[in-house]
Amino acid sequence: MMNRKTLFAAVIGLALLAGVPLFTANSYYVHMVITIMIYAILLYGLDIVVGYTGQVSLGHAGLFGVGSYTAGVLFMKLGAPLWVIIPASIGVTAAFGALLALPALRVTGPYLAMVTLAFGTIIQILINEMTFLTEGPLGITIPKPSLFGQKLSEQGFYWLVFALMVLSLVVVHRILKSQLGRAFEALRGSPVASDCMGVSVYRYKVYAFVISAGFAGLAGCLYAYSEQYISPNTYNFELTVLFLLAVIMGGRKTRSGALLGAAIIVILPKLLDDLELFRIVASSLAVLISVGAVVGVLRKMTTPKAMAIPVIGTIALAGFSFWLESITDWRLSIFGLMILFVVYYLQDGIVGFARSLFARKSPAADSVSVDGLDTSRDAVMMAAKAGTHETGTDLLVANGVLMQFGGLKAINQVDLRIKRGTIHGLIGPNGSGKSTMMNVLTGIYVPTAGSIVFAGRSVVGRTSSDIALSGIARTFQNVQLFGEMTALQNVQVGLHHTFDSNILDVSLHTPRYKREEKAAIERGMGLLNFVGLGDLATEEARNLPYGKQRLLEIARALALDPQLLLLDEPAAGLTAPDIKVLINIIRKIRDHGITVILIEHHMDVVMSICDAVSVLDFGQKIAEGKPAEVQADEKVIEAYLGGTAT
Amino acid sequence: MEILLQLVYSGIALGMIYAVIAFGYQLTFQTSDTLNFGQGDALMLGAMVGLTLVNMGMNYWMMLPLVIVFGLIQGGVVERIAVRPAIKIKSEFGWIMSTIALGIIFKNVAENIWGRDDLKFPSPLPESPIKLFGANVLPMEILVVVGAVLMMLAVEFFNRKTIYGKAVVATFNDRDAAKLMGINTGLVITFSYALSSATAAFAGALIAPLTLTGATMGSVLGLKAFAVAIIGGLTSGMGIIVGGIILGVAETTTGFYLSTGYKDVPGLVLLLLVLAYKPAGLFGKSAIKKV
Repeated sequence: MMNRKTLFAAVIGLALLAGVPLFTANSYYVHMVITIMIYAILLYGLDIVVGYTGQVSLGHAGLFGVGSYTAGVLFMKLGAPLWVIIPASIGVTAAFGALLALPALRVTGPYLAMVTLAFGTIIQILINEMTFLTEGPLGITIPKPSLFGQKLSEQGFYWLVFALMVLSLVVVHRILKSQLGRAFEALRGSPVASDCMGVSVYRYKVYAFVISAGFAGLAGCLYAYSEQYISPNTYNFELTVLFLLAVIMGGRKTRSGALLGAAIIVILPKLLDDLELFRIVASSLAVLISVGAVVGVLRKMTTPKAMAIPVIGTIALAGFSFWLESITDWRLSIFGLMILFVVYYLQDGIVGFARSLFARKSPAADSVSVDGLDTSRDAVMMAAKAGTHETGTDLLVANGVLMQFGGLKAINQVDLRIKRGTIHGLIGPNGSGKSTMMNVLTGIYVPTAGSIVFAGRSVVGRTSSDIALSGIARTFQNVQLFGEMTALQNVQVGLHHTFDSNILDVSLHTPRYKREEKAAIERGMGLLNFVGLGDLATEEARNLPYGKQRLLEIARALALDPQLLLLDEPAAGLTAPDIKVLINIIRKIRDHGITVILIEHHMDVVMSICDAVSVLDFGQKIAEGKPAEVQADEKVIEAYLGGTAT
Repeated sequence: MEILLQLVYSGIALGMIYAVIAFGYQLTFQTSDTLNFGQGDALMLGAMVGLTLVNMGMNYWMMLPLVIVFGLIQGGVVERIAVRPAIKIKSEFGWIMSTIALGIIFKNVAENIWGRDDLKFPSPLPESPIKLFGANVLPMEILVVVGAVLMMLAVEFFNRKTIYGKAVVATFNDRDAAKLMGINTGLVITFSYALSSATAAFAGALIAPLTLTGATMGSVLGLKAFAVAIIGGLTSGMGIIVGGIILGVAETTTGFYLSTGYKDVPGLVLLLLVLAYKPAGLFGKSAIKKV
């Protein structure tokens, strides 16, 4: 799927990298490039967590240490050979990653950052204190490994690391382009929607951490061999922050960014040892930024106010560099400043910035080719596994559902019977409990009391993703798309359940994976065509107009092959012609045998397509029946228009 | 038994310090849903500035208000540089990374100004222990407890009784509504950061005579105080005092009975466990997620 030009450039770049030991015999440079490649392996993994799932991990230095120490201890205690140590390091570190993911499961954002930080700190303490295993602060010495009975030279080791780096690159790239990568990205876009698409947030968060930890383990193990001596102080907080700086500075969600970031954090400290050079770099940076700012302001790309801080900042830095006696001690401050700069002025990293300069489309945009695929087939038809059942039987039965938030009864003793193959309207004034009902049905809330049986199985107490997989799909009142993903990828997340491929299939691109991926593109395009978004398949979801976003949500929900589709105000904010299209789509969905529950405020929509309507008011069901009957019901009129009951 | 009681005393003193730092986390979290990951470094700066003032010949008690003023300024700077731009672009990643970055910078600057070695902070009170219920307690430990409680009470009093405090509380409750009522919520957030760093700096000056003072003293303290903030719940005032004391005692006893090398472990493990099983904390209420 990779663009031909990019592939070509990548191959050339890697070939050059492979040749480094041939160009220079200086072991200082060879060792430096080895370190860069080792860091790059770790950063590929870290990027899964930071770039794709969007979480901050401050525990990767700890995981890196686990990898190193697994290698060190295995060698010291058992004299284990390389081919045992590498898999063991990966395995042990991945297990630690799973351990880290456990407390991380229920929390996100700052909590997760603190959890990972605590984890990293514990690891460092353990390495320091468990002297019987790790020799504590003394550290462990480990010689270069032997391969096929021969001890590797610095050059030989270089090529070993290079080979493993390329292997990691390919594996990570394949994982991230597969359904697994889409699942990771979906977590970032909208956790709630991921769960409701059958992609369990819990499970994929653990996967992300485990895979990421595996790479950290590999990197740690190679690092131990490369340095030939490991001690606990290496794996500290600063290293973790350095890794994060590398990921965001190089550019999230790109492999070239990880390599570039690794190069920066390895080379920069060495540059900083040379004060003269630092003065030159700081001065030229100041000149560069100032010129850039002036050009930017003249071309009206930016405002003087926005550019003031970076210009003043870099000039101050240059001045600072001439005042300093020695720069080495200020290394961490420089890194801190770089983080601040990247966070606010270079959010997409260097690679992302270069891309936007050359105004290329985002990488996702050129990755779909529908040549030779049959996308005209009726994609929804396949979804209608409900078609085998007779219409008219009960699909969903809710009895006495009570949802209480503190003292508030958002839903109070509501019974609901949804017949197969019908469109069931759920209406009521704002705050009457309609959306709460949706959330209860899809497992986002667990009802305080009452029973809900869907297709013969109780829903209460099951997770959202489990319920989704058993056949209830939904859309959201506040659109919950995966914004940074394309329309097609959004639908493909819904198709996640059609994949049986595991991580091996994905890494090796086995026929099974290729078949499933092709089918997913085919189905996905078919579903987009069904809602009329076929032309916008490669557009990022956040760039779509509001009405189209609502349609995309429907297509994504249909991808789940649901028996029951919950539509939460699909017509809200739509124009009159769009509403007509929507009504047609909902009818077609029903004609495919999918049962629909429709929450809507547009009465004309409700009245024209619903087979039955339930009315909620203050959490209670006040009326039910055919649309016309409900419309004439006094209680309903009162609820909507006010007045006193007689 | 006497030893245990003594460990409990020093645990309580330590715990109150955690509670004060955790209190600082609560202040900013409630106004802006953000935290200063460099809170521990704010504490360290407070202790360092305090030490410098004392070494210049200033009286310990005169130094405390100056340290608080320094903390106010430092917190305001953190908010302006690291938090405000991130709130503006609604980037959670942004404020996490930039407060971490500022924390590193503060630590590095402190290393360069005051050196890398731990320094002794002269105690303002007699260093001979006094007997309390049959066990020894340092006068300084009593001062820490009293000072911490007073600091928290002062902030609470300010929030409840003054009009400016009401603006802060209003922002606690609903940032958008407060903004619509004409409250300058941006200023309130800056103020909450200033207060938060001031409490941390004050805590630093309090604890410094009991421990050694050094550029790295803050990092782990900040993390463990976060554990306390989580255990207590980011919205519960009583919780952090209880949580702080639990952690402080757990730590002093671990340090004594197991090994001082492991003394940080109970707090960190507690943090992991609480977040794994009860993310809202033992005393906090869990928020209902809105879809």
